[in-house]
Formats: sequence, C-alpha cells, structure tokens
Amino acid sequence: MCWFLTAILVAPIESFYCGIAHSQEDWSKEFDEICSKTEDAMTFSVEELKSRVDRCDALKPRIEKLDEPQRKVTLKRLQMCRDLYAYVLEMKEKK
Amino acid sequence: MVKETCLVGVLVLAIVGMTLAETGVKKKRPLPFEYGRVILNNYSEEAHLSPVVFDHWLHRSKFTCRLCHVDITFAMKTGSTGVKASDNMKGYYCGTCHNGKMVFQGTKIFESCSKKLQADDIKRCDRCHSLGKNVKREYDFAKFTERFPKERFGNGIDWEKSEAEGYIKPVDFLEGVSILRKKSLPVQKDFALTPKVEGMPEIIFSHKKHTVWNGCELCHPEIFRGVKKGATKYSMVEIMEGKYCGVCHSTVAFPLLDCQRCHTKPVQQ
Repeated sequence: MCWFLTAILVAPIESFYCGIAHSQEDWSKEFDEICSKTEDAMTFSVEELKSRVDRCDALKPRIEKLDEPQRKVTLKRLQMCRDLYAYVLEMKEKK
Repeated sequence: MVKETCLVGVLVLAIVGMTLAETGVKKKRPLPFEYGRVILNNYSEEAHLSPVVFDHWLHRSKFTCRLCHVDITFAMKTGSTGVKASDNMKGYYCGTCHNGKMVFQGTKIFESCSKKLQADDIKRCDRCHSLGKNVKREYDFAKFTERFPKERFGNGIDWEKSEAEGYIKPVDFLEGVSILRKKSLPVQKDFALTPKVEGMPEIIFSHKKHTVWNGCELCHPEIFRGVKKGATKYSMVEIMEGKYCGVCHSTVAFPLLDCQRCHTKPVQQ
C-alpha cells in the first residue's frame, strides 16, 4: 500500500523533470540538425534553404527561454547559422 | 623688423605644426609577438583588475578561428562580446576551455575566473589580467615559433605553411560545444578579382584556404554581404579601415602591407 502511494506521488514529479530534460535535449538536437550543415549550404535547393531558415526561426523562441549566458551564446550561434542559410537563399534566388 | 619677427614666428609655428601633425598620425607597428594582441577592458578595471591581454598567436596555433568565433561566439570586434567573469565561471567564453578541468595536449588548462580566491590565485588572475604588469608567460613566442616557416609581416610566421608542414594542428572540434560536421563536399573554386588600379596584379581569392579555418558563417553574411560576385566594390581604404578583408587582415591574419599575398596574378598583357 505504502509503495503504491509513493509511486502515485513520485510519478508526476518524475515525469515533470523528465519533460524538462527532454525539451532541453529537443532544442539541442534540433539546433545540431539544422546548423551542422552550414558548409553544405551551397548545395542545398531553394526549398531546403527556406525550410532551414524557417526551422531556425521556429527554434529561436525556445532558445530565448534559456538562462544566461547559455541563451546569449546559443542565440548568437543560431543567428549566424540562420543568416548564412538566408544569405545563400538570397544568392540562389537572384541567380 | 616687425615684419621679420612675424615671418620667423609664422615659420616656427608652421614647422612645429607639421612636426606635431606628423607624429600625431604615426602608428607604431606591433612587434611580431604583439601582432594580433587584444586588450579587453569591459569590466576589468571596474572590478579593480588589470585589463585582459589576449595574444592571438598562441590560441591560433592550437585552435581554428571558427572554433572560438563561431562555436564559442567570440565577436570579431574587440570588446563587443562583453565577456563577464560570471560567464566564464559558468563554462562559457574563456571558461569553455579555461575551467581547470579540461586537459589539452596533456596539460590541464587553468581556470579563468572563480568566486572564491586564495592568495595563490592572484597569480592565476594575472595570467590574463596582465596589462601593465610584468607577467612571465608560460609560452615564449620566440621559442614557440622558432622552427615555424617565416613570413615578412604580422607575427612573422607563415601560419598556413606551418599547418601544412605539421608544426601546428589547429583543433576544430570541442566535445560538448561544437556540432559534429561532416566535411564531405568540395568548397568553391578559387576566383580572381580585378583591382580598381590599372596595372595592379589581380587578387586570387581562395575559398578553400579561408574555409579550412573559418567555416562559412564567420564571413557570410556578417563581413561579406554581397550575394552577387563582383557586385560589391571593395576599396583598399575601406579594407584599411577594418572592413571586409580588413576585419582579419589588419588585426590577426597577415597584414595589408603584404600586398603580394593577395595580388598574386600578373596583369594579362
């Protein structure tokens, strides 16, 4: 009975913390996925570049919630990555 | 008599004026070990510490530009990052590596900043906060670079050749910080840029040479915004003012005095 009550009480707390850890991992994973290909930017199609710029924009609000200085550093990295994709996109669209 | 006195007076003023004007614009050329030196004083003096003296030569011999300026996000303009001691303590900026834990080439890297200080720690603070102090450096420039291939200006070192000949192997990846990148695709080919001045050799720009240490996002679009080749006209005046190529090639990379390293292609007759 005691074990059962403990399990009921602990489970929501555990899932809450796991949720936080999970969402942190999510932004990091997404960031890595988007920005690991900056050196291949020239080979991407216009659609692919647009998609990466959009993904950067979608990720920004999540990074803005991080604590300083992680927020400042990661936002700067995301901005550089986004700006490069946007730059190559503009170049390809002007061709 | 009055006329003569006035004339002498004007002549003296003119000579003094010209002398002052000349000394006023003269800039001291840094010595090889000083070239690329950055003084950081965002918060140091406020905290009763000497400003930080950062020597690029040591760090560039061990790490790529990209690692520090993209992954760790040090800005390209002196002081604009606004590094705080608390940032370093939390493991960002200098504290990314200078955390007292990281081992690099068999040596533990000293901790940059810490809250609790003991008497011995002052020497550690002085390793960076050293402006105006006579601090003995762990690495001596002349000894460290004695076997490196030489060049005429800047640090007096041909860094590119130093890497090609195996004297340096700049690290481009930091576990837990950098993103693992698969370098599978060839970079753009070298291209020529025609100078504005007639008779001046053409500039051969190598993307390969630049991306190997910088990646792409360090230069584009922050430094080079033009999307169409040849559309943006870069002038030497702007470059000398620290724009475009001058962001690096007047501060850390070989200086603008070394004309032939960019203006390499002879004029076609």
